[in-house]
Amino acid sequence: MRPWWRTPTARRYVFGYTLLAPAILYVGLLVGIPFLFSLYLSMSDASVGDPVASFVGLQNFEAALENQAFYGALRNTLVFTIGAGILKGLLGTTLAFLLVQSFRGRRLVRALVVIPFTLPIAVSVLGWKWMFDSQFSVVNWALSRLGLIGAYGSADWPVWLGQPHLALFSVMFVNVWRGFPFSAIVLLAGMTSVAPEIIEAAKVDGANFLQRFQRIIVPMIAPILFIGTAFDTVFTLSDLSIVYLLTNGGPDGATEILPTLAYNTGIRAGALGRGAAISLFLFPLLLPAMIILLRTLRRRQY
Amino acid sequence: MPASVGSGNPRSRRTREVRRHLLVYSGLIPFLVIAVFPIFWMAITALKQEPDLYRMDVVPFWFHLPPTWKNFDFLFHRTFYVDWIVNTMSISFWVSAITLLTAVPAGYALARLRLPFAENLGIGIFMTYLVPAIILFIPLARVVSTLGLQDMWWALVAVYPTFTIPFCTWLLMGFFKTVPFEIEEAAMIDGCGQLGALLRVVLPVSWPGLITSVIFSFTLSMQDFLYSLAFVSISEQKPVPLGVATELIRGDVYFWGSLMAGALLVGVPVAIVYNLFLDKFISGITGAAVK
Amino acid sequence: MTDPRPVPSAVTVDRRDFIRVTGAGVAGATLLTMLEARQAPAQLRGTGLRMLKWSHFVPAYDAWFDDFAKKWGDANGVKVRVDHIPHLELPARYAAEFAAGAGHDLIYFVGQILTGQYYRNLVDLSDVAEGLGKKYGAWMENAKSAGQVGGRWYGVPDFYIAIPVLWRKDLFDSVGLGAPTTWEDLRKAARLLKPKGHPTGMQFSHCNDANHNWRALMYCFGVKETDPSGQNILIDSKEMREALRFAKAIYDEGMTPEVFSWDDASDNRFLASGVGSWIHDAISAFRTTQDTNPKVFEHTYCLPEAAGPAGLRWNVGEPNVWAIWKFSKNVPAAKEFIQHIANNQKEAMEASRGYNMPFLREQYKKPMPGLGNDSKLGVLQEQDKITAFFGHPGPMTPPAQEVLTTFIVPDMFTRVARGANIEETMKWGVGEIRRIYTKHKAS
Repeated sequence: MRPWWRTPTARRYVFGYTLLAPAILYVGLLVGIPFLFSLYLSMSDASVGDPVASFVGLQNFEAALENQAFYGALRNTLVFTIGAGILKGLLGTTLAFLLVQSFRGRRLVRALVVIPFTLPIAVSVLGWKWMFDSQFSVVNWALSRLGLIGAYGSADWPVWLGQPHLALFSVMFVNVWRGFPFSAIVLLAGMTSVAPEIIEAAKVDGANFLQRFQRIIVPMIAPILFIGTAFDTVFTLSDLSIVYLLTNGGPDGATEILPTLAYNTGIRAGALGRGAAISLFLFPLLLPAMIILLRTLRRRQY
Repeated sequence: MPASVGSGNPRSRRTREVRRHLLVYSGLIPFLVIAVFPIFWMAITALKQEPDLYRMDVVPFWFHLPPTWKNFDFLFHRTFYVDWIVNTMSISFWVSAITLLTAVPAGYALARLRLPFAENLGIGIFMTYLVPAIILFIPLARVVSTLGLQDMWWALVAVYPTFTIPFCTWLLMGFFKTVPFEIEEAAMIDGCGQLGALLRVVLPVSWPGLITSVIFSFTLSMQDFLYSLAFVSISEQKPVPLGVATELIRGDVYFWGSLMAGALLVGVPVAIVYNLFLDKFISGITGAAVK
Repeated sequence: MTDPRPVPSAVTVDRRDFIRVTGAGVAGATLLTMLEARQAPAQLRGTGLRMLKWSHFVPAYDAWFDDFAKKWGDANGVKVRVDHIPHLELPARYAAEFAAGAGHDLIYFVGQILTGQYYRNLVDLSDVAEGLGKKYGAWMENAKSAGQVGGRWYGVPDFYIAIPVLWRKDLFDSVGLGAPTTWEDLRKAARLLKPKGHPTGMQFSHCNDANHNWRALMYCFGVKETDPSGQNILIDSKEMREALRFAKAIYDEGMTPEVFSWDDASDNRFLASGVGSWIHDAISAFRTTQDTNPKVFEHTYCLPEAAGPAGLRWNVGEPNVWAIWKFSKNVPAAKEFIQHIANNQKEAMEASRGYNMPFLREQYKKPMPGLGNDSKLGVLQEQDKITAFFGHPGPMTPPAQEVLTTFIVPDMFTRVARGANIEETMKWGVGEIRRIYTKHKAS
């Protein structure tokens, strides 16, 4: 009889956990522990310059709820994330359907459409800032010459970053511009992976295009769509740079999102505890949502 | 689709082909405009002389003063742009290396070894992605200085894997699931241990997944701004995005031309590399989610 | 990685051009530099000094400063290294340095005056500040707000940035108006000139200028943010309502909706493009116009500040303050350098093209460097008498700081300009400000 630690199962476990250890240690040390520290911050009255903080329980979260700007930021965050998510999904799907066709210049087109995704975001946002300029906007120049909007200085000259709904739409658009090529490629990957034989078989069975799409393509690309969306959503939720560089939440909070509010409160004004509470506010909501999503995903794959 | 696909005379087939192409192209045009116009505009801005930028009376899409290399010259001779590029490349290289060395074994273990708690561990690793950087950078500053890396690009090599590892672990996890068990078993029968099978059989067939991970490590590293801002303040040590965004804006003066030049010079080559690997990349992510 | 290139960072003016421009002033000051250098203590030799500053809005100033610091270092055997980052990003960097307990020796507050947040971890500089005060005819009263906490100096004010009115004489002439002196004059000009395609603009957005500009209007209208102790909020007043009403009128009559999207740079371009009839901004806008549109520049003039209905004039400046981390490894050198630059304030002012305004009374002796010989900017030589900072007349405390960085004041003006009821806006704004002050009192 072999001792238990020599059994194949035990050896597999040892091997497995050894393989896992580096990743777990890395992430645990550099995110796990600092994260616990952030949690502690969110429940303390810490400020940037005062290391001696005392525990204040949920007061910082209550403070966030008393703050009117917080509700605006919460609403904008949801609109921004969901709106951008939907747009990226729609544009990405359409583009993927076009790119899956065979046509001349496909490689070139593919190369061109991925550029938005490969530019460093902090810098491409500045390009957009220039294009959204209230006076020298090239977009407005073109629209104005086409007669779609008025001349500079008239009421029909859109101020992209100045009108509340337009401003929120503009920051969302930059996120979409950057993200839709990625959605398209992920979906393209899903589509090209559907073996042609299956589609042929379905054709023989007399399924029309819509049925084929519904029964074969959708179930096969759904998992990748989910995981792509999950990562992208999380990234969008916590991304500060677009709003920070374009409007810093203005005018009058029209584009304020939780990350900018947290940054301006916690870092620039130095009220670390309250900043941490604002930035962690969605965590308790996101956590169960992500767990459910990931579990379903994994189960489906087995 | 009409039942006559593939039949009929060559001429009508040709017409159909032309019509299909036209359809696809007209569908693509809006996308190309949205994706490419800003890039085109950035390129034009980079090559324009300053006064030419502020003219609204003439068609802005072309030059009204002779194009100039001044902005590029400025970037290369008056800033540390070359250092920034070298830093970005070095950071990406090391981040990719660390990510592969940790995420490959982790993804494999989670996907293939039927470990107890594997699912929860996998979810746990993903969850670290949810922690907002705006607060995390403060405790991380302590870590960075304890490691003695403050104000060196190495600080970013230490920090960026905190977001590339979770992402790539999940990516690779899905990918390894698609590798047939049989080839691994065959290798083990041939005398390889489990590790040998992983190294000699599984990895070689997984290389699209590995490339995908590298590409992601690279692009994710380029999206950071806050960490580099907090940890690197020395000009020669900055990566490109930070260098461009902090040294080419001076409060109420924007050096538009150099800003755009600085962005394009890194973005476009990456896009080209991206495209070279796009097919592998596609099969890489495909493996990740679709069996 | 060492780099042999002589230029430290983005610099638009060639060093040689620069010396040609400033000429004699530099030559004279270099002698002074040498004299000063001889006095520095010998124990500094062989040490290093790292400082962090913002990227100055006049790029030539940074070129001058980096060189100035290096020369001082060479003369004293100190290895000096100056890093620059944009002013808005300084707080994030300081939060990281503080958490790490390491970083730069000598730091710099601008935009956000964090003396009140960090003073427990900053070196007490009372000896330096008081010494300079004695030497140069006392500090301006509100320098204390920038540098002091509880009567001790934890920061030494370097200079502040004046934010005056820049107006177009040719356009004012064209509608028969003389030189403006009051806000009412400015409003009238905007009303008459907007139909001719020359509106005015002040930022109704989340940017630094929005915070300064509306505060200037408020203070000229007699609004007090807090009492002089900084403890009690006084913004809920008749004067504030008047200021809001005036802002609404001036927006309706003289601006276009683009002001809602403006950042700190937009009004510079607005003036330089020849469109704006007047703007309220730092003189970097004046310099941008000078460099890019000489025709417009010829007709652009400067008014130190417009007067409110009761004749009150308060210009809201942007203070710049030196501080030293307690964890600094080279406090003596850092202190020495602060004094060195203060002793060379004249040269610094010259290099900033009139942008840097001194905090020390004696430095207002006419003609001031950079301003005295300038036919248009000469009017700024009495700016010390009308300069206030945010929180006025209270000090720049941490709660005042949070009111600033969360843009409550610009948001109040934005709401009213967009047509919101003044009473409701007051209720909202005052409520938010109260909430912030209560939080800070509690902790």
